[in-house]
Amino acid sequence: MEKINIICVDDEREVLDSVVRDLDYFSDYFNIEECESANECLQLLEEFDENQEYVALLISDHVMPEKTGVELLIEVELDNRFLGTKKLLLTGLATQADTIKAINNAKIDNFLEKVWNPEELLQTCKELVTEYIVERGIEYESFMDVLDASTLYRLLK
Amino acid sequence: MKNHLTFVLPILVPLIILLLPATSFGIDGLTLVEQRVIAIFVMAALCWVLEPIPIYATSVLIIVLELLIISDKGLWFTKTDSANLGELINHKTIMGTFASPIIMLFLGGFFLAMAATKYRLDVNLARVLLKPFGQNPKYVMLGLMIITAIFSMFMSNTATTAMMLSILTPVLALFAKDDLAKVAFALSVPVAANIGGIGTPIGTPPNAVALKYLIDENNISFAQWMAFGVPFVVVMLFIAWLLLSTLFPASIKEINLNIKGRFLKTPKAITVYVTFIVTILLWLMGGKHGMNAYVVALIPVAVFSMFKIITKEDLKKISWDVLWLVSGGIALGVALDKSGLAKNAIDAIPFAALHPLLLIAGSALLCLLMANFMSHTATANLLLPLVAALGASMQELLPYGGEVVLILAVTFAASLGMSLPISTPPNALAYASGHVETKQMAKVGFVLGIVGLLLTFVMLYLLNIMSLI
Repeated sequence: MEKINIICVDDEREVLDSVVRDLDYFSDYFNIEECESANECLQLLEEFDENQEYVALLISDHVMPEKTGVELLIEVELDNRFLGTKKLLLTGLATQADTIKAINNAKIDNFLEKVWNPEELLQTCKELVTEYIVERGIEYESFMDVLDASTLYRLLK
Repeated sequence: MKNHLTFVLPILVPLIILLLPATSFGIDGLTLVEQRVIAIFVMAALCWVLEPIPIYATSVLIIVLELLIISDKGLWFTKTDSANLGELINHKTIMGTFASPIIMLFLGGFFLAMAATKYRLDVNLARVLLKPFGQNPKYVMLGLMIITAIFSMFMSNTATTAMMLSILTPVLALFAKDDLAKVAFALSVPVAANIGGIGTPIGTPPNAVALKYLIDENNISFAQWMAFGVPFVVVMLFIAWLLLSTLFPASIKEINLNIKGRFLKTPKAITVYVTFIVTILLWLMGGKHGMNAYVVALIPVAVFSMFKIITKEDLKKISWDVLWLVSGGIALGVALDKSGLAKNAIDAIPFAALHPLLLIAGSALLCLLMANFMSHTATANLLLPLVAALGASMQELLPYGGEVVLILAVTFAASLGMSLPISTPPNALAYASGHVETKQMAKVGFVLGIVGLLLTFVMLYLLNIMSLI
């Protein structure tokens, strides 16, 4: 089975924990990584790339010291090696200018506001991961249990 | 009006040919099948020149039309009982062109190239190989050209150009606005890619088409091809480098190509490295292991599929259009040959009156001219079956090396057509960078085309003297 990762980035430990808790649903199938800063996330991405592991989804907070979430997502968007990685911005504090940048430059796939509804977050993640798996041509059969069925049907049609 | 003609001519002219009486072609004993082959050939030529439909679609059309009107399983009314019907061609032979060994050779090449790109072997090799060339723009350009040429011997010229230009573009942005070196650099990549393709049988599709006609006693192995192809590439590259660095000297003193990355060390990546090296070694060893180049080409196909290095999704990205384009050319050759038309037509035209050298030079020049305005592969598809038939029947050619010399001269000429943005996909890519004017590309392409042609003649002359071909 292919190694597929989901990365969550947030500088607040409690927030990070609660995101990971909400995504526990995936834990038997995907590796869920926690990063407390954008730079830690970039390092992790290098590591995954070196081992040729997939990064299906990157969930990031926006307001963080050193490097903001939108800056991080733009960097990932421009990096050929992570073509197709789904990007979710999870923030309560993005200004309109930030949001515009996130859409135009980072080409984010989804935007959720803090405080989020756990069910909504999980559903969004399921859809995004399903899209990633089909788009990258990964054999979806072995991940069927955690994928979003209607997205799968739509993309395979 | 002009637009309508591109559609009307390829339909009308072949139809007229079909309806003319058999005696109007000046070929004795022309059969119905042969007449139909002429019509298909003319249609193919018009379609490839005027491009009313994509060039690969023309190839598919050739194959299907052959199946419909000159095969043993064609339409009922094409199989009349008339005495001069001629020889209908086995439908399996025509369909077989889709999977001819030459197509398999290219498929193997595609697998190698795709795996190399996917596991970043190409970028990482470029990074390592460029280091020794330092930072003087002149030598960096030489390095770039050498690497581009080496890659395009095994990868598609277009893919190589795209990769190298993506490395180059951020650097070109740092040059002063009027620095001529920008032109030199932007041109160096497509030029090197076009030239590099000549180096191996899988370097560029025209070479593959030529292999179809280099059979039996004229057979040229992978290693033999490289033995003269690579020296030719080296000399041409050097000339091109001198030309570019004299015409467009750099005013900048130092440039720094910054290519990031490390060699991947995962088991899959290592499988790719090993398979790549083993395949090339097997190709170079020639027949010593009993396998020919076609059989060897299928080894990476199996290995990469087995280890999921090339996945189902990657398979869909193979350039099937290129494979079909070549298939159509092969099918055209099969029709000319098997129907007997090639032999009959050559007998009817007094080529013997022509001096053999004039013939070689003339057909190479015609090929170069055509290749500048249309697809290299389509040019080779049209010209090679004709020159092969011509070469085989002309005894006067023998002192000059025979059929092989004629075929190779035309094949090399096909790759040398590179004076316009439309000449080759690599040229079009470089033109799109915005740093090159058509005039500049034409100047360089014209000189290299003529010099390359002369160099081809010299090389063939030497090979003939040493009786290597």
